[in-house]
Amino acid sequence: MGRASLILLAGAAVVACQPRDRALTLAAALLPSELPAYRSVVEGFERESGWRVVVVPQQYADIRRALAAEATAGSGTLDLVELDIYSLAAAAADVAVLDETALAAELNALAPAAVQAGRIDGLRFLPHRVTWQALIYNHAMLGAAPRTWDELLAVARAHPGRIGMKGALYEGLTCDVLPFVWAAGGGAVDFDDPGARAAFKFFAQLAPALNPQSATFREASIAEAMARGEIVLHLNWPFAMSLFGSQGLAPNPIRSAALPQGPSGSATVLGGGYLAIPRGAAQAAAALQLARYLLSAPAQQQLHDRLGWFSARRDVAVGEGGALLAGFAAMRGDVRPRPAIADYPLLSRLWQEAFRAVAFERADPDSALTEAARRWAAERQPTPAGNG
Amino acid sequence: MMRRLHAWLLVAPMLVVLALFLAYPMVYAVRLALTDPLSGRFPSLVNYAQIAGDELFWRAVRNNALLPLASIAVELVAGLALALFLSLRFRGRSALRALVVVPFALPEIVVLTMMRYIFVPRGYANAALAAVGLPALDWLLPGGPLAWLTVVVVDAWHVTPVVFLILLAALSGIPDEIGEAARLDGAGAAARLWRITLPLLRPALIAAVLLRGVDALRIFATPLVLTGVEGVPVLSSYAYHQWSDYGNDAAAAAAAGALALASVVLSLPLLRMREEA
Repeated sequence: MGRASLILLAGAAVVACQPRDRALTLAAALLPSELPAYRSVVEGFERESGWRVVVVPQQYADIRRALAAEATAGSGTLDLVELDIYSLAAAAADVAVLDETALAAELNALAPAAVQAGRIDGLRFLPHRVTWQALIYNHAMLGAAPRTWDELLAVARAHPGRIGMKGALYEGLTCDVLPFVWAAGGGAVDFDDPGARAAFKFFAQLAPALNPQSATFREASIAEAMARGEIVLHLNWPFAMSLFGSQGLAPNPIRSAALPQGPSGSATVLGGGYLAIPRGAAQAAAALQLARYLLSAPAQQQLHDRLGWFSARRDVAVGEGGALLAGFAAMRGDVRPRPAIADYPLLSRLWQEAFRAVAFERADPDSALTEAARRWAAERQPTPAGNG
Repeated sequence: MMRRLHAWLLVAPMLVVLALFLAYPMVYAVRLALTDPLSGRFPSLVNYAQIAGDELFWRAVRNNALLPLASIAVELVAGLALALFLSLRFRGRSALRALVVVPFALPEIVVLTMMRYIFVPRGYANAALAAVGLPALDWLLPGGPLAWLTVVVVDAWHVTPVVFLILLAALSGIPDEIGEAARLDGAGAAARLWRITLPLLRPALIAAVLLRGVDALRIFATPLVLTGVEGVPVLSSYAYHQWSDYGNDAAAAAAAGALALASVVLSLPLLRMREEA
């Protein structure tokens, strides 16, 4: 071995033995196009704190799996993670309980419903960004959005086969079903209550007018169908309006509006991403500092302005883009979280199956709900956890 | 002794790769499928009991049995017809042969995105029907027979070139003199095809069925992209649905295990046929 090789080897050993620099790893569900803008927001924290932040863009499901793997291993590289609100209950055991007194200022500024969604056996999750659905309709075809269930039925009868619902077997369908259940006065965990029955009777009336492709529609495919003019209205998240805007289809002919009011008013499902500190995070204190920075008014305002994210902070306005997001801004006060219970996946699946039975197999609404209630009683695990 | 050691050392890297990326994931998947996700009990059939209670799973099983059969039948007929036609000598034959292979050369996702644009309710297919005064068809109606047929035709269109190439290569190995002698003896075209060409093509036909049969069992992207999970479910899209939509890794592993078992069981007679041929 030559002298040069020895010098190289010694150099490598010195580099390898250097202490790890002050770096935090944040895994967030960012699109590649969102990463530069998000990084620029995080740079403010890096300047303030001296910590370097490694932002790892991943899908929610992958972040969830990485978190679970690190929890099983007892150690890992993640210091802060962003999780889909849908998976919070399942991930609760893998993340740390947060000190509410240290977060008092941030919590006071946030919408209480958004904070409550993050409490599962203590405060574990903080709303990084929130979102909700609104009605997206073809203004040129309808003139005005239906404001009540009766008006929605009238539109459905006038445009048979052109009402869209995200009817695929997935969480998106639950997000379409629950607003109707809530708007009828029902609860999300009771298949037997009168509200649920009223909502499902309404679905049965709506069913003949549903677009047949509804049985497989998801967020993206239903938006495509809307863009092609195959449907005249559907429920969707804000991304759809950005999509239509980029295609020159919004605000004309496609616009957003508040969801039609049912017998007990209007409601929409809270969605979004929540921050949490993994149970075994090596830099938990600094991760909390980063989370507080990301929830600060200036950071949330920047995320809203640059990425179009909705903030849970009451002092950051939502959808100031005018007509494009008017429907979403109108729904802000009607946002409700899904039940944060350990058995939520089963509950959600039962809502989905009951809806599909009524909408696509023309089952009797009462029978479909009775069957869902029976299965819920038989199959749920007796381990309630959280705020549901 | 040194020779043996040397041989093992040479194959060791590949064995390590196989162990890491094939054997370990397979063993892990089997263990996952046979573990109760709540209690951690192993072995347990709870995941199989769960998917057996799901109507979508049984639709997936049925489709996984029937779709490959229909798809391979179309591919064999179309592939054989094309191979017979393009084995004739005529001007432009080479260009046509290259053209026939194009569908297989296209990336699957590109083919399927194009097909989706063609067959959606307001797509090109219905525009063509409207142009000639015919009513629109629900090509991709979830659960409908036409959606099933559309999946078969699109899948066959994409992979028929594989069958075509196998049969064309086999046809080029049949001496012209045999057919010529039969023709001089008075055999017509149909008789020559039935009594000479097809028997001589038998090994190639079996190879094509074997290759496509095993491949067709793992059909995934075509039904998923065209009709979604619920439209024309198959076992692999069902496993994907459990994993992606419900985060239920164990049920996904159970469905994937059922597909793997079916593939092995159905491959055995095909392999035997190949050996006999």
